[in-house]
Amino acid sequence: MTSYPGTPSSEILPGAVKLIRSEGLNTYTEWSTNEKVALDNAFAAAIAGKRAACCMKQVGLNVAADSLMSAAYLGTVGALVIISCDDPGPHSSQTEQDSRLMARLAKVPVLDPSTPEEARQMAAFALDLSEQFKVPVVLRPAIRVCHARQNISWERLQNNETKAAFEKDPTHWAATPRFRFLLHKELNKKLADMSRMFDTLERFNFHDLEEGKRYALGIIAGGVPYAVVRDIFKEGDRHDIPVLKIGTPYPFPERLAEEFLSACQKVMVIEETDSVIEYFLRDKQKVLGRLSGHVPSEGELIPDVIYNVINRTLKELSLDPLAEDLDTSGAELVSSLELPVRRPTLCPGCPHRASFFSIRKARPKAIFTSDIGCYTLGLNLGGVDTCLDMGAAITMASGFYQAFAQDGADQPIIATIGDSTFYHSGTAGLLNAVYNDARFVLVILDNEITAMTGMQPTPGLGVRADGSKGRAISLEQVVRGCGVEFLEIVDPYDIKAMTRVVKKAAEYVSDPNGGIAVIIARHPCVIAYRDQAITERKELTVTEDCVECNLCIERFECPALYRDEKLGRTAINPVLCSGCGVCIDVCPKGAIVEVRKSDGNG
Amino acid sequence: METVNFVLCGLGGQGVLFMTKILAETALSKGIKVMGAETHGMAQRGGSVISHLRLGEVQSSLVRSGTAHFLLALDENEAYRYLPFLGRKGRLYVNADPGLFPRQEVRPYIKDKGITYHCLPATKEAMHLGAPMASNLALVGFFSAFDEEPFSSGEIRETIERISPSRFRDLNLKVFDACHAIGRENMP
Repeated sequence: MTSYPGTPSSEILPGAVKLIRSEGLNTYTEWSTNEKVALDNAFAAAIAGKRAACCMKQVGLNVAADSLMSAAYLGTVGALVIISCDDPGPHSSQTEQDSRLMARLAKVPVLDPSTPEEARQMAAFALDLSEQFKVPVVLRPAIRVCHARQNISWERLQNNETKAAFEKDPTHWAATPRFRFLLHKELNKKLADMSRMFDTLERFNFHDLEEGKRYALGIIAGGVPYAVVRDIFKEGDRHDIPVLKIGTPYPFPERLAEEFLSACQKVMVIEETDSVIEYFLRDKQKVLGRLSGHVPSEGELIPDVIYNVINRTLKELSLDPLAEDLDTSGAELVSSLELPVRRPTLCPGCPHRASFFSIRKARPKAIFTSDIGCYTLGLNLGGVDTCLDMGAAITMASGFYQAFAQDGADQPIIATIGDSTFYHSGTAGLLNAVYNDARFVLVILDNEITAMTGMQPTPGLGVRADGSKGRAISLEQVVRGCGVEFLEIVDPYDIKAMTRVVKKAAEYVSDPNGGIAVIIARHPCVIAYRDQAITERKELTVTEDCVECNLCIERFECPALYRDEKLGRTAINPVLCSGCGVCIDVCPKGAIVEVRKSDGNG
Repeated sequence: METVNFVLCGLGGQGVLFMTKILAETALSKGIKVMGAETHGMAQRGGSVISHLRLGEVQSSLVRSGTAHFLLALDENEAYRYLPFLGRKGRLYVNADPGLFPRQEVRPYIKDKGITYHCLPATKEAMHLGAPMASNLALVGFFSAFDEEPFSSGEIRETIERISPSRFRDLNLKVFDACHAIGRENMP
């Protein structure tokens, strides 16, 4: 089982590790350096006859898409299940993309669970299906399945005793384009067979039509929205609207859908996040969904939204509406209260905050390209101007450089990327930038952990998914190996030193004989390494020297700093304060000071 | 049993998820089916955190607005933000100063919906007990005093004893017990 962490998929592999331990299973697990690496590794295991799984978030499947598209043609010997977790909302992703469409693009089957319990059943079914048809299978749980809590049970788990074996067949496993055409034909045949099988797969595809009865409206739903629809009808004691649940949106159970459609005058499709089922329904005259404007095309289909969509449609068709319209008085009240906007912020004591403060201080006019991780929140500090995808801090920095250099313009550029993201997809961009003589400062924010997704180890740490020891990779050696000649390592908690190093790096970048300058800003994450990150907790206070310039609140944005209305100046919340003491160097008036022990409470 | 819907909210870092886990584990230990949804990732970093917990025969993990029976809020503003989740005669347990809650503008809504509310300055109490990070335990202790169906305070306490990390167990129980006692005094 392989994975790269990403919300909402990050808990799958640690969950598996726990299960492997408690059930005494023989299962190999790894945190891979990225999703493509994870999928390639799992694919090799699957063609050696093993049962393999690979977990990632939906945008991770983009990274692994190259592998997926080809693996679909080649097929498997054992089983290969790709778990790609979707994030309608989005809550913690750059897009709301629908993994079911990626599966359709790759021409591999996809299963869409409505609840955690169904996800468990589908995971087992996916392994069997993959083994039976020799094809990779995608399991697509959305965030409300991933980050849900439900009691589930399972029978005793057993080890799969198949031994690794690889039968050489280069015309298949290394197929050239001529053979790929034949493989494509084989894949299409598998899909047609699976579609027929799914027509009668009553565990996951079913409806509650009464034989011979005609209905004014039926609902077709899949995934999480199916669970919501079920609850709404149960609560309202409604039995007059049949529901077809589609657990296998691709290959589509054509005949089952036709059967349902023929019994209903109109059919409403409720699915997340994009339209898949809706496209597969042939008689569009009957269909109400996204294409007809009945269902929103963006955002999560939360119960309130689905309730409204169904109720409006019932009224439109002159059918009995649901019990009552959704009460909007509460929402109106809340918006009238002007509650504080709670934007996510870096934690108190976070070393990234210190890094961003120094970077801005050293080169305020630079373009700040950044990346995906906790440090994207550096945008609150004015230290992040761009965030595209994993690794784009570096590739966009070189792109910006070349665009400005073409016009002879001297535009400073500072890129920030986390350690885990750098290992994920930083090196290819850095090699490219060095090779093409781009000029920018790259700051690798090394907090020695993958923090945002819940503290998974990085290759730099040398700890593996199951807690065993791996070989630690030296970030310095990787950077030097990319051909970088300027490399400095600094502790960002020391704002003066960090600012000095950024300035020095920027000078090197603009020197005709210079090049790319890399700074490793190294300090452990305060959440993952509480005691190592702050060895000596400082008790801090703000003195009367505070002139309320608000620089610390606006530019440093530590959650522990706030304006005390009674005192009429900035103060420190002792509950939130981590005691890191970095803010002492942030205040231009020196008004943030350490309380000396002998002073009591200051 | 009839479905019971909880919404729990607060700010990132206040321990909304642990509070949810306490109630979910207590329900599980009583053989009640649980379903719930939580906030992780980017949204969790200091932002507004909400967690849904549903007991009984349900399929969806999210509570629809106007259908929650209980709202447990670790922050006063977050209580206002998520107030529309509470249904008629819903009950609100909030980390707030009893003398100052609720804001004037909110009173008519609370009255109209028949919502009952109970306030505990949970952060202050937790700090006073030497556990500034345990306002979640304080609110759960306070809540437990009201013996809301299907939970008894003894059952909740047992869960805390069982699932607390060992280094926090004694402190968690101390905060729970002290705030349970405050709740008892507050009972109508």
